[in-house]
Amino acid sequence: MRNNMRNNPLTLTLAAVLLLISVGVSASAHHATASFDMTKSMTVKGTVTGFDWTNPHVYIYVDVKDEKGAAEKWSVEMASTGMLARAGWRRDTVKAGDEITIFGNRAKDGRPFLHLSKVVFANGQELAQNAQN
Amino acid sequence: MRNHLIFSAAAAVAMFALLPAARGQDAAHQGSVPDLSGVWQVTKYQPRMFPNGGAPLAPWGEAKFKTANAETNDPNLGCLPTGVPRLMFVPLPLEIVQTPTRVVIIHEGVQALREIYLNRQHPKDLDPTYSGDSVGKWEGDTLVLDTIGFNDKTWLDAVGLPHSDATHVIERIRRTDHDTLVDDVTIDDSKAYTKPFTIQQVYKLKPGWEIQEYVCEENNKYTYQGK
Repeated sequence: MRNNMRNNPLTLTLAAVLLLISVGVSASAHHATASFDMTKSMTVKGTVTGFDWTNPHVYIYVDVKDEKGAAEKWSVEMASTGMLARAGWRRDTVKAGDEITIFGNRAKDGRPFLHLSKVVFANGQELAQNAQN
Repeated sequence: MRNHLIFSAAAAVAMFALLPAARGQDAAHQGSVPDLSGVWQVTKYQPRMFPNGGAPLAPWGEAKFKTANAETNDPNLGCLPTGVPRLMFVPLPLEIVQTPTRVVIIHEGVQALREIYLNRQHPKDLDPTYSGDSVGKWEGDTLVLDTIGFNDKTWLDAVGLPHSDATHVIERIRRTDHDTLVDDVTIDDSKAYTKPFTIQQVYKLKPGWEIQEYVCEENNKYTYQGK
């Protein structure tokens, strides 16, 4: 299920908060989020198919089902392994098969590609990608 | 007896060779040389040196700036060196290590190493490089860095402010309190800009942080070099 959150005042506020978070210190060092629309936040919910614990970015791969049940393959870009480890992430934080909700900013070119703000796991646990400073 | 003399002389030479290092470290610990060592992280990421525009671009710089596209031709995308001074603005930690004759800055970002020589001047006829040649001296509590010898292949910031091979970077680094480091970075490049300008970057000490591996080429989905 994919929600485009642009029209709801509550989610607009949430988007603004996430934007404030995302332009903080943790912004990507490698390319400065130039490829993403940092003015609009959105969420995707789906099933994890892969997790690259790599540099210069960590990636989560998610299958997101549309209304007809067809899976769209999304990629989610995050910070480096070092910065994520400082924010509480580990190489096995995300596993294939996990049901997760991703908050992030979509690629400007419209690809199913997000810059992550935070992830919410099925048990309600949340992880941002920012080390608290 | 003669062997003893030779041994003693060798020992004396060895001690003499070691003494300056020992003296310098003691001096640093005793506070006569400021201690900037530690792992530091920028307090605020500044992708733009001029967030509201207004960079004093000269025609050469203006023309080069127009060719910059952060999504397609930022040298960092292809993992080319970040270079000086942009390295100092990267939102990944850096570690400062001091010896009597060097200040070494280890940058987690792209695993860059910056050496600042405290005991020599710039060599003549420098080959142009991404990070140039840095020399430093102490002025009171401030480490003053002077860097020249650049190529023109790096950007000053993440939106592509350019610089030429005539760039002269002067940095004034000091600890304003135990947990705070400030670097005033002055860029003097009469080819690219109409006047020098100074951008400040503030860092916080990060006790317990260690510099981690960061291999830019490992899983880089942004490489455009050669395409």
